[in-house]
Amino acid sequence: MTKITRRSAAQLFAGAAAATAIGVRITPAHAADKEVTVGINLPFTGADAESATRIKNGAVLALEDANAKHEVKGYKINVMILDDGTATAGQYDPAQAATNARKMASDRSVVAAIGPQMSGSGKAMAPILSQADLATITPSSTNPDITDPKFAAQYRPGGKAVYFRTVTTDAYQGPNMANYFAETLKAKALYVLDDSGAYGVGIADAFQAQAQKKGIKILGRDKLDPKAADYTAVMTKIKSLNPDSLYFGGVMQAGVKVVKQSYDILPNIIKAGGDGVYAPELLSGAGFPAAEGWYATNASPHMTEDTKIEDWVKRYTTKFGVGPDDYAITAYDGALVIIDAIKRVAATGKEVTRSAVRDAIQSSTLNTLQGQIKFDENGDLVSKVVSIFQVKRDTRFPADDMIHNFRYIGVAPQA
Amino acid sequence: MTTADLLLQQVINGLSLGAMYALLALGFTLVYGILELINFSHFNVFMLGSFVGLWTLQAMGISGQSVVLYGLPLVGVLLVAFAVVMLFSGVLGVVIERISLRPLRNVKGPAAMITTIGVSYILFNIILLVVGADSKNFPNPLPAVNFAIGGAVLRLRELLIWAVSLLLMATLYVFVQRSRLGKAMRATAQDAEAARMMGVEVDRVIVTAFFLGSALAGAGGLIFGLYYNFTSFIIGFTAGLRAFTAAVLGGIGNIPGAMVGGVLIGLIEAMGGQFIAVEWTDVIIFSILVLVLVFKPAGLFGTLVPNKS
Repeated sequence: MTKITRRSAAQLFAGAAAATAIGVRITPAHAADKEVTVGINLPFTGADAESATRIKNGAVLALEDANAKHEVKGYKINVMILDDGTATAGQYDPAQAATNARKMASDRSVVAAIGPQMSGSGKAMAPILSQADLATITPSSTNPDITDPKFAAQYRPGGKAVYFRTVTTDAYQGPNMANYFAETLKAKALYVLDDSGAYGVGIADAFQAQAQKKGIKILGRDKLDPKAADYTAVMTKIKSLNPDSLYFGGVMQAGVKVVKQSYDILPNIIKAGGDGVYAPELLSGAGFPAAEGWYATNASPHMTEDTKIEDWVKRYTTKFGVGPDDYAITAYDGALVIIDAIKRVAATGKEVTRSAVRDAIQSSTLNTLQGQIKFDENGDLVSKVVSIFQVKRDTRFPADDMIHNFRYIGVAPQA
Repeated sequence: MTTADLLLQQVINGLSLGAMYALLALGFTLVYGILELINFSHFNVFMLGSFVGLWTLQAMGISGQSVVLYGLPLVGVLLVAFAVVMLFSGVLGVVIERISLRPLRNVKGPAAMITTIGVSYILFNIILLVVGADSKNFPNPLPAVNFAIGGAVLRLRELLIWAVSLLLMATLYVFVQRSRLGKAMRATAQDAEAARMMGVEVDRVIVTAFFLGSALAGAGGLIFGLYYNFTSFIIGFTAGLRAFTAAVLGGIGNIPGAMVGGVLIGLIEAMGGQFIAVEWTDVIIFSILVLVLVFKPAGLFGTLVPNKS
């Protein structure tokens, strides 16, 4: 073994530097695949970690498949996984989401991203991504403001749409569920709660406005602190107003407590939430019997029970040890859109840059698990389907099994 | 529901909340009274207590909401759970004191307090890493027995919380007032140096204060789980901060003050949620704290003592 002295080391470096300087190729002659990165930003820390993980699994499955099958000739797709949940927030943290967006924007190899799960994070990320011309596809964040041209100055300062969705928005999810409340459930007197987050406030507003239009009496509205433990005071107040229904806009940090404490104090009224409560945490954290009977919606078609994708569901379940929910599928679909966009850019022979990938995503027409995906000029999905579910414990399956404990009711009536 | 029923119901809610805050506030007050140290690790000793309670109940075969016990088995299970949780939390408090605070005993300035914040975060993150971030379903072995008082409902679990809290607080009070060690604690609180000269083993007094305070926090954590039927790594902060406020409101260092402060904060929280709006709860609680401190800087029951140093 040659002893490396300080002098010989210096010579070695000098040699390497000289070689680089005169342009000697040190890479193998048959160059390896070029590498691009897809960022994934989801809240793995906090109250929504379980559903975030199911979403990540969906995206990772698609990207791993693409690499294994050499879907994009000459390119390997790397994954950069970032966590926008923090221990201090106990759930998604918009400040962390902004930091993560900057991290992706400053890494030139990142050509597109998947996420975020939550609209509160989306609002923080969108302007940063817009300035970097970096497209992200969200599989689940549904607050309409982010893609609304009215707020373009705020969320789209770069000009082009960068916030794409493989789900529809709360502009449909809230009102369509309100229609179902009025037309099918015949609700007359409603109380509305939200969890003070961007998503929760937005969907509760949209729901409340349509419910009012449909003639449902709004008895009141309260904003909950998602970190507080005790909602018994507000539940007691609600009870004294004799409502026949309760709507909760929010995600599971507040959701678990709303479900448990409303079960104790308001056991016999209609209770519903949006896609924030269409989550495994409702089944495992809030648990039974409290969760029984809750309605939830999803801003996508219901797919996990579709026989056409039975094999896919089986593959997902075997690989990850837990079944998918519909947002695992919209995440998979989002990843398919990104892979297809990279493929189309690469096929033209041009360099795969993030702006080229953004343009390719914008012009996507792709058949995915949920059907054909096309975006409008704001990044919103052209198809607008809201699915309704009701929790009904099926004891043959584990309590956190989303497919068998959320009974699919149908598509929510469009206004 | 008439207004009177509603009021009564909110008083029931507030008292349950207050009993929990009071148990937690006592730990702040005991340690502060003796060391003049605000022990922030207390927040998460409470949180850990609720998890130890969860595991103890699960170890006894009680999980989910479907196992309901009656009579002697119920009393037995609760006794075991409280004993395990309080012993564990008490020992944890002593360990925290021995490892992270005793070496700093004579260091001036905020070093010891900052250390307790550090310990608090360590406990918080250990639980986050070990059990994960989602809310855990906490078993409820109590039968659903309700008593109607007019239009208000008093549930068995509320009675349990009140009874356990009162029992623990009364025991603590008698211990501090009557026992030798309790007298030593009071002597140390008044003047540690003089107490030492009179032959009081100050270290033993400090260990006792940490043990008792932490054991009460653990009991509070178990009560939290039994009352709300969930627990999570994050519960320590909101509850801890309110309990700390309760201790200051009652006059930190003063044992009856902590109890009254806790109950007051609980009642304010319930009434604020009813008559103002739930999102204003923190504003109301902390405004009252500021007001009390402006007019009575030592808190409701506290007496200003000359600076010891």
